[in-house]
Amino acid sequence: MLVRFWGTRGSLPVAPNAAIIQEKVANALLAASGRSFADLDEARNFARDELDFATGSTFGGSTTCVEIEAGDPDAGDPFIVCDMGSGLRGFGLDAMRRCAGGHARVYHFFMSHLHWDHIMGFPFFVPAFDPNAHIIIHAGHADAETALRRQQEEISFPVAFDWLRAKIEFVTLKPGETYQIGAVQVELMEQHHSHSSFGYRFTDSGGKVTVFSTDSEHKMEKMDGEADVEHFFRAADLVVCDTMYSLADSVSMKEDWGHSSNIVAIDLCHGAKAQRLALFHHEPVYSDADIARMHAESIRYEELTREAVALEVLCAYDGLEVTL
Amino acid sequence: MQWSSTEWQGCVVASPDGRVDEATAEAFAEHLASSVALAAASEGRKLVVDFAGLDYMSSRGLRALTLAKRQADAAGVTMTLARPNEVMKEILAISRYDKLFAVTDSLEGAL
Repeated sequence: MLVRFWGTRGSLPVAPNAAIIQEKVANALLAASGRSFADLDEARNFARDELDFATGSTFGGSTTCVEIEAGDPDAGDPFIVCDMGSGLRGFGLDAMRRCAGGHARVYHFFMSHLHWDHIMGFPFFVPAFDPNAHIIIHAGHADAETALRRQQEEISFPVAFDWLRAKIEFVTLKPGETYQIGAVQVELMEQHHSHSSFGYRFTDSGGKVTVFSTDSEHKMEKMDGEADVEHFFRAADLVVCDTMYSLADSVSMKEDWGHSSNIVAIDLCHGAKAQRLALFHHEPVYSDADIARMHAESIRYEELTREAVALEVLCAYDGLEVTL
Repeated sequence: MQWSSTEWQGCVVASPDGRVDEATAEAFAEHLASSVALAAASEGRKLVVDFAGLDYMSSRGLRALTLAKRQADAAGVTMTLARPNEVMKEILAISRYDKLFAVTDSLEGAL
C-alpha cells in the first residue's frame, strides 16, 4: 500500500507570497555561507539534505486530497482517492499521465464530508472530462451529489456538472458495513463535525491498513466514545488525522469548529497501538516554520507519553509518499 | 491514582498523585469536581491543583482540567496549577495549556 498526499491544508488553499519565498532564500543563503556548489544538482542536494524542511521546502497549500494505491495498478486495480480538495487538480493531471501508460480509468472517491475545502477540486479534475473514465463517488452522506452539482451551477462555475463526459456514479455507504471496493476493504465511522463527517479504514489484501480521519472533533464531554475511535484506528499502519489546532485552542476559542489537535491524535493512536500517525489538515494561517514546530512538539509529546511501542509521527505535506 | 485535598490559607489545595491517563482520567475529573465544590465553599474561593506528585498527564487529564475550570468559573472560583515537574511543564507548553491556566512554580505563588 502506498499513500500519496496531494493536498494537506485545512479549510482554505494557501500559497507562499513573495516575502515568504524571499525569507526562505535568505535563510538558505545564510545556511550555505562559505559553501560553493559545482552545479545545480549539488545545490539541489544541499537544499534537500541539509536545509531544514521549513527553509528548503514547504508543507504546501492545497486542501485535502489523499490517494491510496493498493493492489496492482498494472493489473487493472482502480484509483482510490480520499476527498476532492484543491489537491485533486494535481492528482487528476498525474492520473491522466498514468492512464496514458495503461492504468485503468476507474476512480473510487471516498468523501469525508462535503464542505467546500473538500470538494473544490472537482471542477478542475481533468479525468471528469474523459469519456472513457468511470468515477464512483462513495460517501457516508446521501447528499454528496447535491453538493457536487451545486458547486457547478452557473452562479459558481462556468462548466455545468452535466457537461462532464465521464460516467459518474454516487454510492452512499453505511457505518458498520465492510465493503470490498477495488483492491481494498473499506469501513467507515461517523465523526463529530458540522453536517457530520466520516472516517475511512482501508485494508489491502496483505493486511496493511490506512485510516483517513479528517475534520473530526473529539468532544470533551464525550471522551467515553473515544474507545470506539481507538477501535476504528486499531493497529493501523498509518492514521491520517486532523490535527489542525493546539489542544488549548480546540477546547476554548475554537471549540465546536469541528477539528482536533496533535495531542488528542497521538493519544488515540497510542490507545489504538497504531504504527504511524500523519499530522494533517494544517491550519491555513500556520507558516512552514509553525507547522515544523508543531511536528517537533508532537514527536516530543509522543515520547513523553509513550507507554508501549513507539508511534512514528509524520507531518503530511503536499507531495509526501508513505509506503506501508 | 491518589488524591488529597487540604485547606491552606483559606484556599483549597488539591494534590493528585501518579499519572493521569485513559485509566485514571475519570477519577481525576471526579476529584477535580469535588475540589471545585470545596473551593466554592471556602473563604478564599481559590483552588490550587498541586501538580508536584503528578508524573504526567495525557489529553484526557488536560481536558478534565478544562471541564473543571468551567465549573470553577461558574462558581466564582479561581483555579491555578502549581509545581508541575519538567515533563508536565513540557506537556502544558505543547498543548498550550500554559496559555489557558495560570501555572506557578510554588504553592505560595499560586495564592
